[in-house]
Amino acid sequence: MLKFIIPTIMLMPLTWLSKNNFIWVNTTTHSLLISFTSLLLLNQFNDNSLNYSLTFFSDSLSAPLLMLTMWLLPLTLMASQSHLTKEPLTRKKLYITMLITLQTLLIMTFTATELIMFYITFESTLIPTLIIITRWGNQPERLNAGLYFLFYTLMGSLPLLVALTYLQNTLGSLNFLLLQYWAQPLPISWSNTLMWLAYMMAFLVKMPLYGLHLWLPKAHVEAPIAGSMVLAAVLLKLGGYGMLRITSILSPMTEHMAHPFLVLSLWGMIMTSSICLRQTDLKSLIAYSSVSHMALVITAALIQTPWSYMGATALMIAHGLTSSMLFCLANSNYERTHSRTMILARGLQIFLPLMTTWWLLACLANLALPPTINLIGELLVITSTFSWSNLTIILMAMNILITALYSLYMLITTQRGKHSHHINNLTPSFTREHTLMALHIIPLLLLSLNPKIILGFLY
Amino acid sequence: MNPFISIMLLSTLILSTMIVTISSHWLFAWIGLEMNMMAIIPIMMKKPTPRATEASTKYFLTQATASALLMLAIIINLMYSSQWTIMKLFNPTASILMTMALAIKLGLAPFHFWVPEVTQGIPLTTGLILLTWQKLAPISILYQISPSINLHLMVTMSFLSILIGGWGGLNQTQLRKIMAYSSIAHMGWMTTILLYNPSLTMLNLLIYIIMTFTMFTLLAQNSTTTTLLLSQTWNTMPIMTTFTMLTLLSMGGLPPLTGFMPKWMIIQELTKNESLLLPTLMAITALLNLYFYMRLAYSTALTLFPSTNNMKMKWQFYPTKQMTLLPTAIVLSTMLLPLTPMFFILL
Repeated sequence: MLKFIIPTIMLMPLTWLSKNNFIWVNTTTHSLLISFTSLLLLNQFNDNSLNYSLTFFSDSLSAPLLMLTMWLLPLTLMASQSHLTKEPLTRKKLYITMLITLQTLLIMTFTATELIMFYITFESTLIPTLIIITRWGNQPERLNAGLYFLFYTLMGSLPLLVALTYLQNTLGSLNFLLLQYWAQPLPISWSNTLMWLAYMMAFLVKMPLYGLHLWLPKAHVEAPIAGSMVLAAVLLKLGGYGMLRITSILSPMTEHMAHPFLVLSLWGMIMTSSICLRQTDLKSLIAYSSVSHMALVITAALIQTPWSYMGATALMIAHGLTSSMLFCLANSNYERTHSRTMILARGLQIFLPLMTTWWLLACLANLALPPTINLIGELLVITSTFSWSNLTIILMAMNILITALYSLYMLITTQRGKHSHHINNLTPSFTREHTLMALHIIPLLLLSLNPKIILGFLY
Repeated sequence: MNPFISIMLLSTLILSTMIVTISSHWLFAWIGLEMNMMAIIPIMMKKPTPRATEASTKYFLTQATASALLMLAIIINLMYSSQWTIMKLFNPTASILMTMALAIKLGLAPFHFWVPEVTQGIPLTTGLILLTWQKLAPISILYQISPSINLHLMVTMSFLSILIGGWGGLNQTQLRKIMAYSSIAHMGWMTTILLYNPSLTMLNLLIYIIMTFTMFTLLAQNSTTTTLLLSQTWNTMPIMTTFTMLTLLSMGGLPPLTGFMPKWMIIQELTKNESLLLPTLMAITALLNLYFYMRLAYSTALTLFPSTNNMKMKWQFYPTKQMTLLPTAIVLSTMLLPLTPMFFILL
């Protein structure tokens, strides 16, 4: 695993020592090359995992997420070029360094064997993200956004530290590969209820669960584009990854404890989708749609059936690419009009027709059109929740409907219809932006040809 | 201050702490503590302003009371064990009295009231000595009597310290008071683990001293004593903003910085002793501390504080103040976490 971590760390000297007008070229190219090496991880055995050392391993769950993370770094670098042009050179290099630090910590989180190592790197991802949001965000609301982000996540994860330490003292080791075989069934009692909550709250806040999601719209909206992309695509998946890992040692308590959270996520799914219909702020709409999709992942992770785990993993990868693409599209709007209000930039198909293609593909992916992997994830989750309880089909159907509604609403408002009068001097789209969108959608479409690789470890 | 007097006072200060730590006779330990108090009072009065006088007087009164209580505890111990050796105490009354006396000396709640006011009235470097060096002597005595300390008293005082250190610092803008409340909270963490694994108290003390030293030295570079002044460091020494932010985050206990190490080790040790609610509550209350550190980090490094245009056009001189050990201290206070196994074995 050092073959990913060391090159990623070395991207930092690359940034600081490159020539002034080559920093973007160098970092983007090299991070793209590093992401290609992650494809080696695709050679996964069915019921085993690739153990690289005592500290790092990768199995069919962490490999797709790792590939997503590594694919996203060059994309975030490409997306940030435009809003950083006016900054002094040192600050540009600092920004890139923050992204690279975040990337290194994310690689270590997804491949950690020991759960405390996972915890430490999970928490460490907070600091670079906080710095990106607070230092390079654009509105004064970003201060509050950073604080909400930091404190919601920390409040949830400190009990996790205590619970993991207790687990290490009881079982002797927190090596995940051993833990799967050593874990004792957790009998149902009041103290075990608190223990279950301690394990799960960190991930539920990170996902986020509907009642704890207040940090997400703030953080996503106030972050600069790279921050939004990385937050939506990867940091939310940290929560999902943690939940999928830790629920394997928490049975049979989960069946007893999961009901309130299942209800919250099922209801929250519909609530947040409905809120999307009433949003005026484009980034806020995409942020709430993230909450809605992640609620599906939470539902899937809590039911613990093979199909639901496959659906959760597929949904995470699909949502990562789709949501990141939507944020890039929203950012291309923001860079031209310097406003996130949707109705201020209407009817863009006339001015930027090729961008409309990307908007169309992104919105269609968001509403889970067949045969994209979004659909595969949602379908697996819907069928498994139906087998868990027949009534959920009503909620799921409503959710699909409302998701389709707001995705098409977003598409139609920004692209179709009569253009607003003040936007007739928009700069045409840059090739960089088209490359960005293409690099998002091409993996998404290619994965629909072979979704087996993203279906996780219960395939 | 006259250099001869300065040398005499500093050497008395150092000598007194060494006397306390190496002595095996209770009387010598008590004498060391008294010398400690006597030596630092003139240092606190370097600039004889009324505020410094008030701070020195408050310090003298609290410490003298504590020493008197300590002597009472020593005599009671003498009565019940007929020997003066510094080891565990042989009487619960003596143990409680001595714990409270040392708590007054350290500034543990509910005896914490003197810490913010004394720290505020003295110059920054003296505040550094007060919050770091002065803690060594009482903690060494606590370490030696740790087998006989009453658990309920200790845990109550330490948890109360963490709460008060967190809540008290929230309404402060004066940096010395913020450091004082931070010291109260860290003392709370240190004394929680005293009865389970005293080596971790030492580890926490070491890391706390490194972080506080870094923080005070960074503040002393610009002689910043308020948040407002701190927000102007971007103008005079931009790199200090990064270091201040990193040190503040480290004091807040965020991984992957060093400050996470003592908290993690303490939580691990407490869970080994089957107490799970206490470390959870302690960890969550430490978030209050993190909140006011974050506020400082925001005003220093991450945002541009509102200021007049005059303030934004300062000359950037070469630094003339000596940055004693600052690079070392910064590295130690931010990058020591991967070396955790080493510390665990060392202590």
